[in-house]
Amino acid sequence: MSARRKGTRLSADTLRFSFDGRTFTAQVGDTAASALLAAGVKAMGRSVKYRRLRGVMTAGPEEPNALLTVGAAPANIPNVPATQLKLSDGMVLQTQNRWPSLRFDLTALLQLGSAYFGAGFYYKTFILPKWRFWEGMIRRLAGLGNAPGRSDLPAPSLEHTHCDVLVAGAGPAGLAAALAAARNGARVVLAEREPAVGGELEFETAKIEGRSAGEWTCAALGELTRLGARVLTDTTLVGGSTGEMVLHTETAGMPGPARLIKIRPTALVIATGAVERMIAFTDNDRPGVYLLGAAERYLARYGVAVGQRLVLFANHDRVYLAAARLAAGGMTIAAILDTRVSGAQSDAARSAAAELTARGTACLAGHAVIAARGRRAVSAAVVAPVADPARMQSLACDAILVSGGWGPVIHAALQEGGTKRFDETLSAFVATDASDWRVTAGSANGAISLAAALKEGVNAGVAAAARAQRRGPMAAVPAASGDPEPHLQAYWRTPSDERAEKTQFVDPQNDVTVADLRSTLAEGFIDIEHVKRYTALGFGTDQAKFGGQLGAAIVAQLRGEPVPAVGTSRLRPPYHPVTLRSLAGHRVGAHLRPARVTPLHDWHLAQGAEMEAMGLWMRPRYYRANGSNATDAGIIEAGRVRTKGGIVDGSTLGKIEVAGPDAAAFLDAMYLSKASTIKVGRSKYMVNLREDGMVLDDGIVLRLSEERFLATVSTGHTDHMVSHFEHYRETEWASARLTLTDVTDAWAVIVVAGPESRAVLASLLGAQWQESLARLRHMDFATGLHDGHDLTVLRASFSGELAFELHCRPLIAKGLWEALVGAGLAPYGLEALDILRLEKGYLVSSELNGQTTPFDLGLDGLVALGNPCVGRDLLDRPAFREPHRPRLVGLRASDGKSRFLGGAQLTEDAVSAVPVGYVTSTAYSPALGEWIGLAFVSRAVPEGATLHVRDPLRGDNTTVKVVSPVHYDPKSDRMKS
Amino acid sequence: MSRLICPFCGPRELREFEFHKTLPNAGESPFERVYLRVDSLTLSVEHWQHVQGCRAWLQIERNPSTGEVLMTRLARSGEAP
Amino acid sequence: MKGPTPRYSALALLRARFKGAGFWMPLWTGRTLKDGYDVVVVGAGGHGLATAFHLVRDHGLKVAVLERRLVGYGNVGRNTTIVRSNYLLPENHYFYEDSLRRWETLSRDLNYNVMYSPRGVVDICLSDGDMIDAARRGNAMRLAGIDSDLMEIDALERFAPELAPRRTRRFPIVGALVQRRGGTVRHDAVAWGYARAATALGTDIIENCDVQGLRTEAGVVTGVETSQGFVRANRVLFATAGHTGMVGKMIGVPLPIETHLLQAMVTEPIKPLINSVLVYVHPGHGETYILQSDRGGVVMGGHLDGFPSYTREGQWHRMEDVVQGAVELLPQVGGLKILRQWAGTNDMTMDGSPIMDRVKYDNVFINAGWCYGGFKTIPASGAACAKLVATGEAADIARGFRLSRFATGHLLDERGGGPFPVRL
Repeated sequence: MSARRKGTRLSADTLRFSFDGRTFTAQVGDTAASALLAAGVKAMGRSVKYRRLRGVMTAGPEEPNALLTVGAAPANIPNVPATQLKLSDGMVLQTQNRWPSLRFDLTALLQLGSAYFGAGFYYKTFILPKWRFWEGMIRRLAGLGNAPGRSDLPAPSLEHTHCDVLVAGAGPAGLAAALAAARNGARVVLAEREPAVGGELEFETAKIEGRSAGEWTCAALGELTRLGARVLTDTTLVGGSTGEMVLHTETAGMPGPARLIKIRPTALVIATGAVERMIAFTDNDRPGVYLLGAAERYLARYGVAVGQRLVLFANHDRVYLAAARLAAGGMTIAAILDTRVSGAQSDAARSAAAELTARGTACLAGHAVIAARGRRAVSAAVVAPVADPARMQSLACDAILVSGGWGPVIHAALQEGGTKRFDETLSAFVATDASDWRVTAGSANGAISLAAALKEGVNAGVAAAARAQRRGPMAAVPAASGDPEPHLQAYWRTPSDERAEKTQFVDPQNDVTVADLRSTLAEGFIDIEHVKRYTALGFGTDQAKFGGQLGAAIVAQLRGEPVPAVGTSRLRPPYHPVTLRSLAGHRVGAHLRPARVTPLHDWHLAQGAEMEAMGLWMRPRYYRANGSNATDAGIIEAGRVRTKGGIVDGSTLGKIEVAGPDAAAFLDAMYLSKASTIKVGRSKYMVNLREDGMVLDDGIVLRLSEERFLATVSTGHTDHMVSHFEHYRETEWASARLTLTDVTDAWAVIVVAGPESRAVLASLLGAQWQESLARLRHMDFATGLHDGHDLTVLRASFSGELAFELHCRPLIAKGLWEALVGAGLAPYGLEALDILRLEKGYLVSSELNGQTTPFDLGLDGLVALGNPCVGRDLLDRPAFREPHRPRLVGLRASDGKSRFLGGAQLTEDAVSAVPVGYVTSTAYSPALGEWIGLAFVSRAVPEGATLHVRDPLRGDNTTVKVVSPVHYDPKSDRMKS
Repeated sequence: MSRLICPFCGPRELREFEFHKTLPNAGESPFERVYLRVDSLTLSVEHWQHVQGCRAWLQIERNPSTGEVLMTRLARSGEAP
Repeated sequence: MKGPTPRYSALALLRARFKGAGFWMPLWTGRTLKDGYDVVVVGAGGHGLATAFHLVRDHGLKVAVLERRLVGYGNVGRNTTIVRSNYLLPENHYFYEDSLRRWETLSRDLNYNVMYSPRGVVDICLSDGDMIDAARRGNAMRLAGIDSDLMEIDALERFAPELAPRRTRRFPIVGALVQRRGGTVRHDAVAWGYARAATALGTDIIENCDVQGLRTEAGVVTGVETSQGFVRANRVLFATAGHTGMVGKMIGVPLPIETHLLQAMVTEPIKPLINSVLVYVHPGHGETYILQSDRGGVVMGGHLDGFPSYTREGQWHRMEDVVQGAVELLPQVGGLKILRQWAGTNDMTMDGSPIMDRVKYDNVFINAGWCYGGFKTIPASGAACAKLVATGEAADIARGFRLSRFATGHLLDERGGGPFPVRL
């Protein structure tokens, strides 16, 4: 055991880890900070701006300095606080912000410029020649750890749960609250950030109910377990909103296997404790300056002495009790600097001081530390009377332990309308519990002494249980003795000349000093929010936990105003940093979004289909047997449909069944043309308008019976169209007799297209379908059974060929499909589908893009019908009739062979910067043997005009002729054959 | 505000619902209904759908400055089912 | 023009070192209101301050900027700092391009380093359809003289290697539309730089001054009632994004604007990882944009929170949505931690484009409805809005931003989303 270990509660097992290439031994249970301190390592990092050598200052997540990179690149994890990081055998740790090594850091030359690099200096320079010139260098100097190249983190486990009372924090107040709530019958969840419950009870020497604090903690934990409370360690309350709170478990204090719990408590007790405050004095950032409580924790939990000869510096009574405990741990207390004048101390403090004095400690009331001495580590403290700072003396020491009071952790309490108030006795902000479902207790509420914390905890626990209708008689407050009130007097910084203020650090991570605060105020940034943004005060990984309150108080001092007049900058969620991997949960990779597949999906895969995501749906783009790429295969597949026939899986088509006596009238209101005029057994191509008159969607509406319709909608619009219909049914049509059912998944759709389609179907469907198939005119449909299941055969075409849509039950889809393939109809994919529809000038989302009116699409005839549908009123706006509005046209290359692509702009000459339109989509047409396209072109451009295709992005420049959008079979003879 | 109370399903996660639009005053022209908004710091009357639940359309009154839900009912009537 | 004193430069930093305290001057000071001004600008955000600057510099007017809270406390300091001009519609892209050109020289023009970083904005495409939409937009930009590149997978891999475009993803990456001159600007610096420059020209910037109403005589506005008393004004401009609806209510004109929350978040700083702005929109309502600040933090944003709100407290599950996109796009960031999440209140118009026009009175103007685009247009908006207010004539590049367009149908609907701010 190292000389710095004074006995420990840790296991005797050891492990080895490396730190900047050196190998160290630690005990199982050590944090990186405790192990390094035990090994005598003080320097653990460098600051961002001035590259000052820094050691660990705290024992918690508020650590500003000792941030380490864990693991080797590329799977390194940067910026892990050494104070939180639990070591495991073989762990590889590296310091950050130094080059080439921590000790010999060339970037530390930046310190030479520190006099010029005050707050906001970068706004005043790097203007010439331009920021981009400097940016690369500055980016490399900024940042903390190295960027990871890879992340091997596993998905977190996720849990959604409820409880009566959630208690955040298992220090004295939290334990008391949990216990009181559980005794009253509440279902309690107790979450503790540290690996063990107890908080400050870990080093508390006062007695609770006559027992030691440690014994009481064990007993409390045992009773909680017996009462069925759930105690979660390594678990931090990180955020949430009214009702739902988010707990995050990270074992070992670093990103790794994690758990995210979303919990709905009836009541929340916030017992998150308080963070000790630094005091600003010259060179207070040197390795060897610690927060007092941190030194106590290192001793109590890890048996590590942060120094052999200590100077303690504080503004309250508790420093004397701490000194006694540290002395009992074998450390020498050289001096206690108490900023309060003699007489401010309580009797208990005075007697403790007397004992310490007897053992050689200089107890200096009315004194302060002026400066730390020692460049790489503290070697002495320069101290002086507060009233007479010139009377300096130097006290040799290897550690300065500072306690400027405590800042309650009120982050969670301030969310959603919580407010804070300034507690004068503690000189700190506490939350005002405005809401009835959350209550703050213990030092998080400014109750620092053990007795007060326990009392608040019990009261909070009882109140929280009562809110959950768990009322019992159990409200006894455990009696505590031996832990007095702090009697704190605010003391924020040691006055000094302005030069020395440049090394009085307020927020060490970002190198924010008292001098920065002063100059920032002088530049007119008065409000604390401005000060924060200009200096980066509180922007560090600790999010103002370390220096936020201190900075605000010093700003108040410099402004000559009381602290509450300045306030503190607004705290933002999360309450504690959360890894992205935990937040992402299971929704990454293949699970980012669910994949929707059709009943024929497996068949497509087995037959070598290249699948494509269309929204969440997966659809075959082409079949690899037909070509090695989409273009080639698409041409083959489309060509085959026109010469012989083919089948395509149309199951993704949206289908909404509209039924009831008012169904026809309802659909009349939803569509530009009337559904009520459709005869039973017939269907119609219909168009919807959005409320603003733009075309929303199109599709075929089938009249299944007098009062039943099937409206088909675009695959990508289905969810929206269902909601759209439902909205009108539930509002303007609320009294109508009408039901809407999304039957998209109830029907698979197989489209059979091509000249042979009827003959193949006739032979395949059997005798009972012969008559119907022969009878069906274009847009007629027939219903019946196939293989014992419902089948609808709709004669409609999206390809321009004679075609039938088979709407069948998913159960028989595969059989039908395979039979069709067996009958010689080859499947085709989206690529061919697109070629076929383009040849016919049919619309898809490229044209129905939410920016086009029915006039733009050449649907003037439908508008002229005068059906007063949704969106009809706003179609009458003047802009929609202007001559430069677009019109849907077809395009052909002037030379009959050049390629042109969707997304190209169209101009009237080769140089104009003003487009008259753009190409929506193009394809090589196997039927026509050339490239064809659809476009929106200004109405002023007549058919037959020549336009320039302007595609500078892809370099294709050609001219095209404006033609009819129907490229193929304009009279639709084939379709109607 | 992390839940809404669906008249059919009871309290449900906010993410199950989709906001559609704020409602105008009654009797306005189609243009006003579609485009113009009566803004208020304290009251927003809205249509939402329980889109990942029972698909009910709800009329909800909220305080947009606090997120507090003041009233929830079915969009189709003043009555809860 | 007399610039702000002392001028900022590396040399000035040296001099300050030796002159000590008192060398630097306040960038702006909370002066008291004078009796009257040529123009009272309501709102000391980016647009209000930039407009004030141009009103004084370009038109020689006497201006006060009244701010209810603090200079730059609204959206100018809450956005994700992205600047770009990759818009489809000419009414938008010429305006945004004017802005981008002004960003290029703004640090010099204001003598304040706003850290314009043209690192490239990458709109990731996930299908051939996406590529066609991107091409339509990029080609329109190119014809207008705006830089734009359509990158297929090889070129994208070279441009943004950290993206590893070939990595297997739920939605495979096909290519991207890249605007190299797009990038980032240090957001707070913009507010402060304009405030300083406007102050140097004699503009009064009054913080903690709440405007409560307009005073009119015979149908003409004569001034504004404020928490610090009445102040005469020949013209009044409202530039109060996030609360424009309230202005509409105050003057009795309902506006086509809803206020929605947009959140952003940042991780702890790391050494350089992401060297451009990545925009990732995927099926199933997914949207994440991601960049790395010069300080080193990975900054992310996504969709609106989804319903009208003034709370400035973003929904937790929206943060998760954004992070899911980030981890899918760049799995290597999985071990980084979100330090801070915040939200701004966005003026969302019913076609997604801004409004810069007179409203109700001949001498009252609004500069509003910037939706997601407010920050990046500040320099152009300042110049154009100053012209409108000073001369009564809209600047050429801002003619599309009329309030009347909703009634006439001259909509500027970039995305085709229709009259709904939230159209997932």
